[in-house]
Amino acid sequence: MSKSKVVKDLMIDVFEYPHVPYWFTISQVIKIIKVSFVSSKKYPEPLAILVFDEKYNLMGTIVLKDILSGLEPRFMRPTEKAQAYIQEEAELSIIWDTLFNTESKKLAEKPVSEIMVPAKYFVEPDDSITKAAYLMIHHDLVLLPVLENKKKFVGLIRLVEIFDEISNAILKE
Amino acid sequence: MELLELIDRQNHRKLYVQLYDIIKKKIEDKEWSVGFRIPIEQELCKVFNVSRSTVRSAILELVRQGYLTRQQGRGTFVSKKVISDKLTMFTTFGELMLDEGIDFSTDVLAQTIMMPVDDLSDKLNISGDKHIIYIKRLRKVDYTPILIQETYIPFHICPPILEEDVQKNSLFELLEKKHGIHLTGVRNYFDVKYLNADEGMLLDSSESSPALVLTQHFFSGETQIMYMRSIKKPGRFELLIEFEKKDR
Repeated sequence: MSKSKVVKDLMIDVFEYPHVPYWFTISQVIKIIKVSFVSSKKYPEPLAILVFDEKYNLMGTIVLKDILSGLEPRFMRPTEKAQAYIQEEAELSIIWDTLFNTESKKLAEKPVSEIMVPAKYFVEPDDSITKAAYLMIHHDLVLLPVLENKKKFVGLIRLVEIFDEISNAILKE
Repeated sequence: MELLELIDRQNHRKLYVQLYDIIKKKIEDKEWSVGFRIPIEQELCKVFNVSRSTVRSAILELVRQGYLTRQQGRGTFVSKKVISDKLTMFTTFGELMLDEGIDFSTDVLAQTIMMPVDDLSDKLNISGDKHIIYIKRLRKVDYTPILIQETYIPFHICPPILEEDVQKNSLFELLEKKHGIHLTGVRNYFDVKYLNADEGMLLDSSESSPALVLTQHFFSGETQIMYMRSIKKPGRFELLIEFEKKDR
């Protein structure tokens, strides 16, 4: 790609997204999503929450799907039996529907540390766009933290901006 | 005028606060002495490369704080700072205890950022989508834990607090002396509560034992800059809040 743009040229401010400590519950995070995104009609891509520890170290991220996953009662998960193959019965979701008020509401009091996607992968400000793209493709991520010297959290890079940059390069005559 | 101090646009702090600090420093360092007529708005805009409204906001705040005075038709001048006639308050745990020569220590249990959940946005008078700095400290005297303090400061009020050493320093000192944010008022609420399991563990007391809860709302002018909640178990030490009236 020409002009060799690097991660720091495309990264966004960490304060574009809500920050929560890992001990916040799923229901608290749901309220935050309503206030920070839904009511202000901001729908960034992805719609994510950043999870930090007591010392403001990034621990992980949460997107809407992770919240739904956290609210799914345990028995909905396919069990792994040694001989039989895993059966997925979407029809069983009717049981989730009836138990929503009891089971899911209880599960909503879990801390978000139990549902977040741990921040295992990251890029540095001077890394290439293609490195960020590689990590996103191979690890199915839409958001990557940008860390300076592997420690200081200086920004976020998203799939949308990466896509924008790469697609411009492709379409250029 | 030399462009000695530049406005840092990458800095989170509002531009007018940065300009306020720069001009305040010029006055405190006596670079602009008492009676000096400061440059007109237009010139300040040009030199610092900021908008007119930024200059106006900074000047307004300096006038409010007593560093500058406006004279109709003649300009804005550096004035002799007058100490306000209000009551000053001493509530920092450290300041109180040190007076009596008691040895205390602090554990910083948390210094991070969160969003205002539950009724925190009302308590801080900010919107729910603003980030807040959360600091949790455990104060001990002779290694006995006696006070849990949770402090909430909207991030935009003073971003550097996130990285300050709050184990050794008092937040009031940091805000006032290092970051130029003047505490002008406080509202204190007192109540009694029964400790929950976590609080009991921290304070080395049994769950459901009674404790004093002091909640404080701190203001700088009209803006609420901090909300602090302190939980103290019954015991050897008393919390002191002292008021002192300063004469002109």
